[in-house]
Amino acid sequence: MNLLLFLPETWVLITVVFLLGVILFTKENLSSILYPSVFLSAIILVLLSSYALFSSGELFYSTYRIDLLSQGFKWILSLCFLFTILFSRRLVSIHPEREAEYFFFLCTATLGMMMLTSAMDVLTLYISLELSSYSLYLLASLRESKINAESSVKYLVFGAAASGLLLWGLSLITGLSGSTFFSVISKDVPLLMEQPAFALGMVLASLAFFFKLSSFPMHFWAPDVYECAATPVTSFVATASKAAAVAVLIRFFILLGISQSFVVILGVIAFVSMTLGNAIALLQQDVKRLLAYSSIAQAGYILVGLLAGSFEGYSSSFFYAFSYVLMNAGAFLVTVLIAQSERHDNPGLVHFDGLAERSPFLALILLLSLLSLAGIPPLIGFTGKWILFAAAMDKGHWFLVLWGVLNSVVSLFYYLTLVKHAYLEKPRTSAPIPLPLPIKILGLALFCGIVFLGIYPKWVISFAQTAISKAMLL
Amino acid sequence: MAFPILTSILLCPVIGLFLILLVPRRLENLIRLIALTAASGTLALAVRLCFAFDPSNPALQFMEHVEWIKSYGIHYSNGVDGLNLTMILLTAIVIFCGVLVSWTVTYRVKDFFANMLFLVSGVFGVFMTTNLFFFFLFYEIAVIPMYLLIVVWGSTNKQYAAMKLTLYLLLGSALMFAGFLYIYALPGAHTFDLTAIKQNVAFPFDVQKILYLTLFLGFGVLAACFPFHVWSPDGHVAAPTAASMLHAGVLMKLGAYGILRVGVHLLPEGARAWAPLVASLALCNIVYGALVASKQRDLKFVIGYSSVSHMGIVLLGISTMTTTGFNGAIFQMFAHGIMTALFFACVGFIYDNCHTRMLDELGGLARQAPMISSFFILAGLCGLGLPGMGGFVAELLVTIAAVSVYPVIGIASITGLLITAYYVLTAVQKAFYGPLNPHHAHVADTNPLQFFPRAVLVGCLIFFGVFPQVFINWISTSTKMLLGA
Repeated sequence: MNLLLFLPETWVLITVVFLLGVILFTKENLSSILYPSVFLSAIILVLLSSYALFSSGELFYSTYRIDLLSQGFKWILSLCFLFTILFSRRLVSIHPEREAEYFFFLCTATLGMMMLTSAMDVLTLYISLELSSYSLYLLASLRESKINAESSVKYLVFGAAASGLLLWGLSLITGLSGSTFFSVISKDVPLLMEQPAFALGMVLASLAFFFKLSSFPMHFWAPDVYECAATPVTSFVATASKAAAVAVLIRFFILLGISQSFVVILGVIAFVSMTLGNAIALLQQDVKRLLAYSSIAQAGYILVGLLAGSFEGYSSSFFYAFSYVLMNAGAFLVTVLIAQSERHDNPGLVHFDGLAERSPFLALILLLSLLSLAGIPPLIGFTGKWILFAAAMDKGHWFLVLWGVLNSVVSLFYYLTLVKHAYLEKPRTSAPIPLPLPIKILGLALFCGIVFLGIYPKWVISFAQTAISKAMLL
Repeated sequence: MAFPILTSILLCPVIGLFLILLVPRRLENLIRLIALTAASGTLALAVRLCFAFDPSNPALQFMEHVEWIKSYGIHYSNGVDGLNLTMILLTAIVIFCGVLVSWTVTYRVKDFFANMLFLVSGVFGVFMTTNLFFFFLFYEIAVIPMYLLIVVWGSTNKQYAAMKLTLYLLLGSALMFAGFLYIYALPGAHTFDLTAIKQNVAFPFDVQKILYLTLFLGFGVLAACFPFHVWSPDGHVAAPTAASMLHAGVLMKLGAYGILRVGVHLLPEGARAWAPLVASLALCNIVYGALVASKQRDLKFVIGYSSVSHMGIVLLGISTMTTTGFNGAIFQMFAHGIMTALFFACVGFIYDNCHTRMLDELGGLARQAPMISSFFILAGLCGLGLPGMGGFVAELLVTIAAVSVYPVIGIASITGLLITAYYVLTAVQKAFYGPLNPHHAHVADTNPLQFFPRAVLVGCLIFFGVFPQVFINWISTSTKMLLGA
């Protein structure tokens, strides 16, 4: 057993232990060294994940699989972690005394998600999912305000219900095949496919993953949590949690297959998710709530690719998850900075007024991220959507594709509304928004990623394709 | 490898765009000069392309091919035949004149020219690419800057018009998107390369019918086909002068070009099946557009609706499915592009100087500003199809083809020409003759800088009106190819 394979996770564990020490043994405010050390740790994590990108193998009696799919998603997750740490430089709505706890739970959530991408066993899957979920429940409730009591309770209760469904579904699947190893279960799938109990197990387990993906019918928590959590937490939920959900869905569907009737269910879910998310987003005034509904719609697009159930479908979902992380990070970068400069952690549309005059760079990032979310070429979101829908069309889902594209047009309306506020309205204050150097670098990197990977996505696409083809070989 | 002239045409505005982004925004004249240089570069290359083009060769020429994403059959590949050669030339002429006409823009100069160049890069891309992925990519690149151009530099209800235009056009492109992916998923395809699809994919008749309708509706939105034309007059009116020129002159042609290049080329039987419907819609365009235009009081709305009417002639030509009709349609695309650009350039000048476009408030400008008046009148004469102007040949060809294929619709479309004559002459009479409105007594005529771009457009109109054979020679081999003859 080669423990080097476990390197990124080990590093997160070390950080977790360090933060635990900080929480336990120091009373005074340590924020002066706390933030730099966490920041450093995040950078090391990204480096380690890049180092571990091409490793492969199995750990812990084959319950834990290291392959290109898991490592690719771990790399994306480490990026999300780094983004969130960068956004947390000045926390607007979390008390300084809670900072250590905040970073602690951020790390445990990342750890859980990283393990999720590698889980090859029912129990590993369940435990890592719960680790990440409970950390997120706590993170969402850390905000120093009364308004988030409702949302945190909602998140917890819905989440607990979702994990109950997961447990039920997994127990059905395990009970039918008699093994907790996915590799064993997947060999039994041809026999089990027709059994109603197995289908029920698949649906129930998937519902729990849809909870993480915030797609219909498990989306109820998303708007409230997005709105009421501290903005960096929201950005973490919107990027890392989504990526982890796509990773586990890809793994789950590759291993257990999708039956014809399940495709129909997925199609309905994708259809409703797109329609509902976009329709309600049209009415939002709070930007974080708007992004929540947009994420519900985006979950629908991703499902269109996943339900194709083909090599192209999975690889394009992988690509789209990556592009989704980039463009969402761009949108949240701007939202976080506006929240900081307004000292108000729920920026509304009006707070974006005149952004182009206060900070042309931020306005440009916002414009590109939102247009990319709407799927406008030549940005990465467009290319992602193109190959996603090409895969679905290949399997004959022309209606979903048509509906998805029409939905993108609708979504453009609310994205453009935000752009209009940033570019056309008069600013309420003329104070320029200060941009610290790391944020500038991040913005530039996101800009390059969104534009250049949109125009020339060949490497990322072939990476995703190699990852999926390796994951499909058991 | 030969000199990649097509990519160079595309790169001129792209490089100009990046240079402009690098220049600090207070150096406004430098920015204008960069834009002008980029536009002149494309014009020079486009003219060179026209001379190097071999009209007798039916295949695509000046092919360029770079593999992009192989697993999806996405390649960066370009090529020209008569069809897009003329469109590239048109775009180059219009952007060159558009940059010169916008010399007087003073608000956010940097952003304005950056958007203009971005927009034409998209337009050039659509006209030269032979891959559906890039077709779509460039198509949308051409739409989004339009939103910004209208919403920032526009006038008259601009936010409404900009949003309406963008959503309409993207709705059209959504249909295209679905149609392209449908083609990709057909057995034997798995590529977005037009030539490969044409060779390898057998389209069953049912598929052709559905697919052609989808694509026609998608492209038809941009070509301002009858029930979907409503975005276009609003958009034209709200847009700043140069954007209107590009928009009516070039952007609407993208739709018609798409119908020919993708729709008719890949799905000839589907095109034939739907041709009567297309012809009826085109008739609505011609007559309805002209009728509405004759009721407008705002000069820019007159031209906006006249564009709808003239695009009807293009669609009617396409619907005949004959070489004559196609030649007429493409000629009309070109002539209309130049003509409308000239119209908008003149109206822009009038609006800048008189601060109104209402026909009742203008009057007598012919004495005050004889040059601009005669430019407008020349454009108007081209619009009503006076012999000796580009528009005449185009309308003649389309009408001949239409009358022989659809006698009723063809003859009915001639009434549209009569109404056109009526509203053009009324507008000319109200704006340029009669008593001078004393408010406009101070209006001076064009200075050389303003004179030059408009004169270039007039020159093109007259040149191709007097020597239509040059133009027909470029396109006729390709239209024959298109019909499989």
